[in-house]
Amino acid sequence: MLLTLDILTTAAILFVVSIGLLAIFGVLKIINFAHGAWLTVGAYCAVVTARLGLNPWAALPLAFVVGAALGGLAEHFIIRPLYRRPLDAILATWGLGIVLGQLITLAFGRDVQLTPNLYAGTVAVLGVEYSAYRLVALGIALVIGILFALTIERTRLGLSARAVIMNETLARSLGIDTGRVRLVVFMIGAGLAALAGVLLTPLTSVDPNMGVSWLIGAFMLVMVADASFLALAAACLVFGAAQVLISTFVSPILGSIAVAVLAALVLRVSPKGFSRA
Amino acid sequence: MLDTIPAAARTVPPGRRLSRAAPIVVAALAAAALWIAPTFLDTFAVNVLTRSMIYAMLAVTVDLLWGFAGILTFGQAAFFGVGAYATAMILGTYGATPLGIAAGIATAVAAPALLGLAVGWLSFYHRSTPLYASVISLVVPIVVTQLIYSGGEWTGSSSGLVGFDVLPFEIEGYFRLAALALIAVTLAAWILVRSDAGRALVALRDNEARCAYLGLNPRRLQIRLTAALAAVAGLAGFLFANASGVVAPENAGFLFGTELVIWVALGGRGTLLGPVLGTIAIDYLAANLSGDLPFLWQLLLGTAFVAIIILLPGGLADLAGRLWRALPLGRTEPAAPALVAREAEAQAAPTDAPILKVRGLAKAYGSLTVLEGIDLEIRAGELVSLVGPNGAGKTTLMRCLSDGSEPFTGAIAIGGTAIAGLTPNRIVGLGVGRKFQVASVFESLSVADCLRLARAPHDGLNPVGQDPVLGLPQAALDVLRMTGLDRPLTQPARLLSHGQKQALELAMVVALEPRLILLDEPTAGLTKAERTTIGTVLKALTAGRRIAAVLVEHDLDFVREISSRIVVLHQGRLVLDGTVDAVVGSELVRTIYSGGAHG
Repeated sequence: MLLTLDILTTAAILFVVSIGLLAIFGVLKIINFAHGAWLTVGAYCAVVTARLGLNPWAALPLAFVVGAALGGLAEHFIIRPLYRRPLDAILATWGLGIVLGQLITLAFGRDVQLTPNLYAGTVAVLGVEYSAYRLVALGIALVIGILFALTIERTRLGLSARAVIMNETLARSLGIDTGRVRLVVFMIGAGLAALAGVLLTPLTSVDPNMGVSWLIGAFMLVMVADASFLALAAACLVFGAAQVLISTFVSPILGSIAVAVLAALVLRVSPKGFSRA
Repeated sequence: MLDTIPAAARTVPPGRRLSRAAPIVVAALAAAALWIAPTFLDTFAVNVLTRSMIYAMLAVTVDLLWGFAGILTFGQAAFFGVGAYATAMILGTYGATPLGIAAGIATAVAAPALLGLAVGWLSFYHRSTPLYASVISLVVPIVVTQLIYSGGEWTGSSSGLVGFDVLPFEIEGYFRLAALALIAVTLAAWILVRSDAGRALVALRDNEARCAYLGLNPRRLQIRLTAALAAVAGLAGFLFANASGVVAPENAGFLFGTELVIWVALGGRGTLLGPVLGTIAIDYLAANLSGDLPFLWQLLLGTAFVAIIILLPGGLADLAGRLWRALPLGRTEPAAPALVAREAEAQAAPTDAPILKVRGLAKAYGSLTVLEGIDLEIRAGELVSLVGPNGAGKTTLMRCLSDGSEPFTGAIAIGGTAIAGLTPNRIVGLGVGRKFQVASVFESLSVADCLRLARAPHDGLNPVGQDPVLGLPQAALDVLRMTGLDRPLTQPARLLSHGQKQALELAMVVALEPRLILLDEPTAGLTKAERTTIGTVLKALTAGRRIAAVLVEHDLDFVREISSRIVVLHQGRLVLDGTVDAVVGSELVRTIYSGGAHG
């Protein structure tokens, strides 16, 4: 039972952390290596909220707005010129991540920050005492997933985004302002990443380099999912389960690289990853 | 074999001999300067620069992979770390005895090379993408770092290894050793990238598909390059472990891998000297500045990196290079190799057996059937035109004939060998040359280099210099002469006109000495005069040299003029196969082509 809960909540956290990266990769075909920095920015929004004495949950909307605003600037000044050089975009966004990390260090120092717990305590689930927050995170992941699906399937933006994913040239010639779609999607993706940063604060220590450790896992999951968010959910479940099982029964260190190694092998065997199924 | 080459063409003109010796002279001067440098520098500078020069060796390997071969890698740190740890573990166990040192060097080079082979196999396969290779290069350092953490006493876990025996040198000795190693690695890389074999790296970056369709095995080249440069990184790791006396998990980490890429990008990818000088300058500055302004330094470096990537992809070396070329001294014209004819390889006695034999070929994309029940035989000397309206399956048929890894049903045999499952380079080895619809050449290479690569599977490539002669089969020379391409031999292919590119690709394919040549609309977008030339060339190839050719073409007048046979495809089926007169006069063809409207 404990294992099942661990697997489900781990998958949920992986999903929340990767969904912003997936949105950007799907539409812009660009790997946002500053993703880790956006997670960090989000976490520091929680720190700021706590210093201002606000309700800890107020950090969620704040992080989304700050993340999206920074995302808009980054898209305009850094991503747009590199649209035709995707490998260079990886490097430029990595550089942007360094810059953001150092700016945060200059403002807050490099020490670990303490944030108030969003939801403390434990609850009994079928005879097991379990962290209430991890269950809340599972619920939030489901909400984000459903909202994301509704946006993709039911809104005009979602329709345009799907058109751009399938055939950008055709979408542009049909009068879709693809530049605007890219900008909006990048802002949403960055906002979601910052949001995920807030949600990570009860689970991990907050410091200027916290995002990097999450980046690679999220990146590998997105590569395997190949721009399909259902495939992302499936990948999070499978690799999350692998991570929990290997950490529990073999070694936590091997568990920490399970996602990256398994994803690399899956890609080697089937270059389209999970999206083919 | 080369008896047609006049003796005069083999001698190197004196100017070129001088320029060939120049890098060795510069390297010797640099070695001398660095040998005496420790006597002027303080201890701190000697220590830091020793490390910087070892890092610069890594930068050279990253530049070869990324700047020249187009493989963005973060994995060199992992190979470096493996080399450093292997050294520390072996010297720690056996001490710095002659045997221990020899075992240390051997393992520090062999272990990363083996890991490089494995990583290369994982990264490069038929139809792998550059992004995937970068992904693997990210995973490798992460895995190696975690293995180091879980290594317990073996690897010292998170605190690393210290206190192992090292080479019996003072710090000046390590400085000189690192300097000599750096100069040796840089000089070797310099000679390689300026040689004919070095052009193959650029060709891989420019156009991997064309490499495969010239019969080169891109995958094998990339794997070998990865393994060889992993070995160099391991050697740098050996030097680092000895010079610093400590190895830590960070030395193998992904962050160090990204730092290497940053240094190369700032110095100037694809220039060798840029990354070397950039790495030394940045690492030295970092050691001096990061004590006083640690965060600001990283901030400046990060900002500069982003700016360089966006605004100046060639790095600082590109800027310096532009200034240099503006000076009259910097302008040197590359010398064109002498074109000579080489005798055709001994062909098997001409038989009447078909070169190409297709039986019951069918191909479907999902539920969409593109080809169905195709039977076709083509013999030497035939020029078969494949006609049919758009969407009839002509290009798909050409693809099936040249790439056995395309999933299809039925049987295709070239010269009696079934090609199902064979990658394009193996099929080229059976004697098939394919010219694409959109001219596929190596854009950043010169015309002569493009042609030389086409001969690489037959003649090999010179790994240490540029051959002053370029031997081509007479047929390829004819193509060049008729299209006037024998004049702009030193011109980069990207500056050629559309028609010239088509002609260059044709010459490259002919230079392969194929038995069967596949041409997808070779005259599309060409002028009338250019069409006539290409037509003459094709006729000479088939009638004169007994090559079989399959030609996809829309221009029926052109087809009528040059073909010996016409095959009509319609909705994925082969509906007609006959002589020119029979097909052109047929009612069916008129109906298909004009919908019956124009009679």
